[in-house]
Amino acid sequence: MQENTKYNIPSEISSKISKWLAKFPIDQKKPAIIYALHLIQHESKYIRSEHVNAVADFLGLKKIDVYEVASFYSMFETEQVGKHTISVCTNVSCMLNGSDEILKYLEDKLKMKVGDSSEKYFLKDERECLAACCGAPMMQVNHKYYENLTKEKIDSIIDGLENER
Amino acid sequence: MAWKMKDKYNINELCYSTLSSDNPNSYETYVSQGGYETWKKILRELPDKKEIINSVIESGLRGRGGAGFSTGRKWSFINQDSDAIKYLVCNADESEPGTCKDRDILRYNPHALIEGMLIASYAIGAETAYCYLRGEFIDDVYTSFKNALKDAYQNKLLGKNIFNTDICIELHDLIGAGAYIVGEETAMLESIEGKKGFPRYKPPFPAVKGLFGSPTIINNVETLASIPKIIGKGPDWFSSFGTKDSAGFKCFSVSGHVNNPGNFEIPLGTPFKTLLELAGGMKDGKKLKAVIPGGSSVPVVPGEVMLETDMDYESIAKSGSLLGSGAVIIMDEDTNMVEVIHRIARFYYSESCGQCTPCREGTGWMFKVIDKILKGKGTLDDLKTLESIPKMISGSTICALGDAAAMPVESFITHYKNEFLEYIKLPTEKLPNDKDFAEPINNEFILSRK
Ligand SMILES: Cc1cc2nc3c(=O)[nH]c(=O)nc-3n(C[C@H](O)[C@H](O)[C@H](O)COP(=O)(O)O)c2cc1C
Ligand code: SF4
Ligand code: FES
Repeated sequence: MQENTKYNIPSEISSKISKWLAKFPIDQKKPAIIYALHLIQHESKYIRSEHVNAVADFLGLKKIDVYEVASFYSMFETEQVGKHTISVCTNVSCMLNGSDEILKYLEDKLKMKVGDSSEKYFLKDERECLAACCGAPMMQVNHKYYENLTKEKIDSIIDGLENER
Repeated sequence: MAWKMKDKYNINELCYSTLSSDNPNSYETYVSQGGYETWKKILRELPDKKEIINSVIESGLRGRGGAGFSTGRKWSFINQDSDAIKYLVCNADESEPGTCKDRDILRYNPHALIEGMLIASYAIGAETAYCYLRGEFIDDVYTSFKNALKDAYQNKLLGKNIFNTDICIELHDLIGAGAYIVGEETAMLESIEGKKGFPRYKPPFPAVKGLFGSPTIINNVETLASIPKIIGKGPDWFSSFGTKDSAGFKCFSVSGHVNNPGNFEIPLGTPFKTLLELAGGMKDGKKLKAVIPGGSSVPVVPGEVMLETDMDYESIAKSGSLLGSGAVIIMDEDTNMVEVIHRIARFYYSESCGQCTPCREGTGWMFKVIDKILKGKGTLDDLKTLESIPKMISGSTICALGDAAAMPVESFITHYKNEFLEYIKLPTEKLPNDKDFAEPINNEFILSRK
């Protein structure tokens, strides 16, 4: 995590966090950490220490409480990553249906290795089951599901991302 | 294709009943199938909570999240005489490799889950219920569930003083952020409380001291989505399907080397052969080699044993495995079993939360030894080490992930030892995918136990 300018939680986000808190007993603030980090990551692409500090301040928690959550859950990025996050599942059902080859094809196409990030793409090294095993091989791009992948399908998905404005 | 199958077999009658309609996840579709009638009847008649719990016990419904514990009995552990706040939690973390049945309920029949959660909340006396979805569902799956919840609120089926009764139930959607271990029920409670997902020591069990220290019942999506019809049509209707100890229907996710992979909801006790047929049979006409019948956490079963097995809790146990989450992973004759267990071991190694030494170290050793063997650098001693590790993990950990990591390894060595031995003998260049691997061993033993 990088240091360190001050971050002010934008009012749209802080009002959403406040609404979320209403789901829990009044003295419980930690249950909003995950949601707050999702919102901030959605806006800022990755979680920096000023984000952690801001969430802790906003919820009246210790920074370590927020940091613990930010580092435990695999969806939270604490390093700079590219615009589009791609996760290819290579767990058993997908592996049996050629996911290793699909991943390799994607690596070659994007000229990057799994785990790498460019400005545009982040090929996430989190390759576990995404509960779409009957559509294997599959991947998520920015958490959207793409199932029954073929090389042609990957070409058209990446072309789509390349051509977007 | 699916509807034709439906004529022939009793499929998709319960949790997937809306799949036959054009707009499966809409409120209108659910209502047109008699949805929310059971809940409305309960609100009209305000039956004794124990009556509902007894019906669920009588129905024989067993938890569909993996452990298969009687749902009604679990609910009965809540002390109804105490006026402590109680919670219901729906486990929608679905992350057991091979399992994708809950996602389709959340996407295509979310109202059955909502109605089930309302009935369950009523039965256990909870005024707050949470549905915790895995983080990776944050796009379309979460949206589908949230929209359904909004419709249910709009139709005043939940909230304060529902239908002018004293009943108040708030149901909240929650979203995780990626962690297999959060599917373990006490880790889920930690996660809802806004902490990292470390499983808790038990006892105390959640029904005594769960979320925010209050009595809590945690159930799987499919379990809860089964409730409306069980109460509506009666426990006898449900138990008229399935077998004596495995009542009713179960959703199976059939994946791997089949022509028509998919989720199929069928009566428990249906022959595996029929399920395989529903899934379009073996891809490319290949021979069945092995099946993991209940998600990657359960022992592998040789194909010829599986072909004689029925899809219910007892039959699968007799065949040496577990029904688990109902994820049926099909492997054909060309499958390299060392590669498969290597992948499974890697998963548990990376998902162990690290709290217990046997699990943290054991999952690491197992992965590293299998990795060494797969790379052609393994020795017979390594294989012996690998055989001994599962025994050291099993039964000495806080949660069941340790066992989930150990059982598959044990079973792969039992049935496919020769494939491990091939790796130990052959130089690396010749590997992998050698089709001439020897027949799996120990089948007679398994068959003779049936
Ligand atoms: C490591 C681990 C992962 C689990 N993952 C899930 C899961 O993704 N979904 C689920 O419903 N149950 C999961 N379970 C089982 C839950 O702990 C719990 O038994 C279940 O949610 C209870 O619901 P049921 O009685 O309706 O099956 C998991 C258990 C363990 C040990
Ligand atoms: S068994 Fe493994 S996953 Fe479960 S609590 Fe212990 S270390 Fe964590
Ligand atoms: S194994 Fe790939 S999505 Fe489940």
